[in-house]
Amino acid sequence: MKMPLVTRRTALKALGATALLPWLTDAGLAEFAVVQAKKAPPRLKVLTPTQYRTVDALVEAIIPRDERSPGASEARVADYIDLLLSEADAPLRKQWLAGLHALDAEAVTRFRAPLVRLSEKQMTALLTDVSRYETATKPAPDPALQVARNEQPQPPQVDTLLGDVNLPRERPLLEAFFADTKQATIHGYYTSEIGIQQDLRYKGNTFVPEFVGCETEVGKDCPHCGRKAKA
Amino acid sequence: MATDPTLDIDLADVLQESSRLAASVTPASGPWDAIVVGSGAAGGMAAYQLAMAGIKVLVLEAGRMVDHRREYRTMEWPYESPRRHRLPPDQRRLSVAEYEFLDRPYGNDPSFAKLKKLASYAGNSFTRNWVVDEKQHPTTGTPYSWVRARVLGGKTNFWGRVAIRYGPLQFQAASRDGFDIDWPFGYEELKPYYDKVDVLLGVSGTREGLDQVPDGIYQRAHKLNCVEVHFKDAVAKMGRRLIPGRAGVTTDGVLGNKYRAQCVGRGRCSRGCDIGATFHSPTALIFPARDSGNMTLRPYSIASEVFLDPATGRAGGVRVIDANTREVMDFKAKVVVLGAGCLDSTRILLNSKSPRHPDGMGNSSGLLGCYLSEHHMGPRGSGFIPTRIGTEPTLDDGRPTGPYIPRFRNVTDKHPDFIRGYHFQGGGGSSEFPGHANDMPGFGKAFKASVRKYYPAQFSIGGFGEVLPRKENRITLDDTVKDAWGIPAVRFHYRFSDNEIKMAKDMADTADEMLRAAGAENIKIDPTMLPPGWSIHEIGTARMGDDPKASVTDRFCRLHDVPNVYLADAAPFVSGGTQNTTWSILAMCWRTMDHLKEELRTRT
Ligand SMILES: Cc1cc2nc3c(=O)[nH]c(=O)nc-3n(C[C@H](O)[C@H](O)[C@H](O)COP(=O)(O)OP(=O)(O)OC[C@H]3O[C@@H](n4cnc5c(N)ncnc54)[C@H](O)[C@@H]3O)c2cc1C
Ligand code: SF4
Repeated sequence: MKMPLVTRRTALKALGATALLPWLTDAGLAEFAVVQAKKAPPRLKVLTPTQYRTVDALVEAIIPRDERSPGASEARVADYIDLLLSEADAPLRKQWLAGLHALDAEAVTRFRAPLVRLSEKQMTALLTDVSRYETATKPAPDPALQVARNEQPQPPQVDTLLGDVNLPRERPLLEAFFADTKQATIHGYYTSEIGIQQDLRYKGNTFVPEFVGCETEVGKDCPHCGRKAKA
Repeated sequence: MATDPTLDIDLADVLQESSRLAASVTPASGPWDAIVVGSGAAGGMAAYQLAMAGIKVLVLEAGRMVDHRREYRTMEWPYESPRRHRLPPDQRRLSVAEYEFLDRPYGNDPSFAKLKKLASYAGNSFTRNWVVDEKQHPTTGTPYSWVRARVLGGKTNFWGRVAIRYGPLQFQAASRDGFDIDWPFGYEELKPYYDKVDVLLGVSGTREGLDQVPDGIYQRAHKLNCVEVHFKDAVAKMGRRLIPGRAGVTTDGVLGNKYRAQCVGRGRCSRGCDIGATFHSPTALIFPARDSGNMTLRPYSIASEVFLDPATGRAGGVRVIDANTREVMDFKAKVVVLGAGCLDSTRILLNSKSPRHPDGMGNSSGLLGCYLSEHHMGPRGSGFIPTRIGTEPTLDDGRPTGPYIPRFRNVTDKHPDFIRGYHFQGGGGSSEFPGHANDMPGFGKAFKASVRKYYPAQFSIGGFGEVLPRKENRITLDDTVKDAWGIPAVRFHYRFSDNEIKMAKDMADTADEMLRAAGAENIKIDPTMLPPGWSIHEIGTARMGDDPKASVTDRFCRLHDVPNVYLADAAPFVSGGTQNTTWSILAMCWRTMDHLKEELRTRT
């Protein structure tokens, strides 16, 4: 694991700042480093080992390893979801686990195998069906509902990453479960070191003496967007 | 505090230091010439001005001290935190006072059930130690998301840095469209103070020659990235401008302040800038004021009221409840400067009841608490800029603010549906979290590739519109509900009017129109207005004017009724334009303090 704490402290020293104490305890950091390391066994809080393997397979199907970077499994998204579940309210936890169970049961009904044992083709077929709503055309919103939020009740206060028990369930269980899990997977993956550094190749959070975005701003042709310098 | 050691920093030292400081300052520690309540933008500037002028000043701050070196965790990666900086339900702080700092909010707790109608909840591990606990700080009345930070520096610890001047369009708004009243003075009066603030604190930006957002004295500006340049070209054809963000950040350094360094472009300023390039009141104003030897700082000091000196009819000082010990103490001084933030300063005055001022101090006009205004927000648009679709990401967010689209409605033309106007803030390019992923359909390798493909091309803007100052939009004290220290809670009476609703509709339309002009792909428009309070730009509630029957303070922000009480924050503002408030608070406060210094000099 990269040690950004050190980088940051060294950098601040270079800037003449005094030494900093770490904000994560060493034990906390160490534990996290272990979880991030690919083959460390999970320390499960809610999921059973079987459920964990199912979640792991599912999140990897949502964001798989490809030629650029590892997928959600190596980024330990299943561990992250387990943590979220452990701190979610009981009704939300129940709802999400029911969704997991239902999707697994669907796999058995259709392919006579649980999710963990589906072939790539079978998994794709299943997820294509439960995600079809994403590209279906939506009915136009009723203009009467487009009112200012003076009086309208606000979204309820649950951790919406794993879903929202207070919202009316507009979709069938499997679709809703897919939506919630995809959202949590996106969050878990793209906040991981693998997601940010290896997949996105995010360039920020570093020291730059002067920010130059589009190079035409400093009078050059821009190699990134193709805009030509103004003559 | 935190039950999980990995969740937070250890605050033991700073808590101990705060208690020690509080215990060391008693009413007998004086005398002081002036008391300043609060240490945010307003209180910080007031304390700095007075202390630097050799005036003995006591700063009463409700919250604790802040350890900026450790609490501003500027460069921490999300994966350094097991919860990725989200808070588990029992750790959340910024609850009813909603604000979307990081992502969709966490948490629910039965004790909040009665507040459910108000707002969705937010909180993350960067700001939770600063924002108030709603259980201790309840509000009542109509929904209003009142974000409060009770800590040294107040909300300036994590403000958004957008630093814009009011211009002639605000000061003379009423003359232009006939609604309400003008400010008692014009831009020329405040301009020299904006100039001084720019030089003292540092602000980056470009000179554009626009009346709606007058130019300042700028340090090195932050450049636009590719998608922003593309958008700028497109909207220029419509006669609109996209200009580099104006940030309350020093890019070239400021003189004579050892707590501040120049910006090095990490783009993590909202967590607090640990090198002090961003203006935060503690490093920019409070610590230098303290170093002058003229300022005494007392944390954990909740001002409950300004008390009257019965002999003179003037204010005698400030009554304080110690936040920890609950001891009640009366601190005396020649003048009182309230800078607790617009609504808290007004609340203190409303609570300063005496036979002479039965409805609160400074309320003989009956207008104390009225004319609450802010900016309405919500309508926004996003899309992908074609020139960057499918390209490798570049560094696009290494700067403190994105660009700004100044108001273009009712500047030279006249809109048929609404008066006043709005501006947009936004920008694009790649940022740490690929927000667009949530809207990408599908799964698997194709999904992952399309997240990458569109990652550098993201662009979005959101509007900030003027809320008309209306008398009926007001705060009062609640008759029964009190905060944890027994001070009556604020009751909101606040609604958007037809003008705001029509303006919001236009925001959504023009966002759409501009994204189309830019040839953006997959344009998404969200026309929904956010709940009242979301802008965190509250103004009014103790408006200034020359007529004591129609205003609470005079043109120097001094109570008409009690001339040794001044307001340093945005409470006296007559109208708020579309501009983010802080830079105007700083300039107005400096002007008010110049007046006060002169008063103190000539009176003694
Ligand atoms: C997330 C966020 C983004 C923002 N972005 C921008 C932006 O881009 N541009 C902009 O211009 N503005 C922005 N703002 C608003 C900006 O923070 C405020 O305008 C500014 O901080 C107001 O300064 P103030 O001194 O009036 O109040 P505050 O900064 O709130 O300070 C008030 C102080 O008074 C203390 N206090 C309160 N009550 C009492 C009492 N009874 N006794 C003693 N002390 C008391 C508080 O503890 C606090 O320290 C933003 C705010 C937030 C939260
Ligand atoms: S971008 Fe500049 S102002 Fe923002 S955190 Fe980095 S150094 Fe501070």
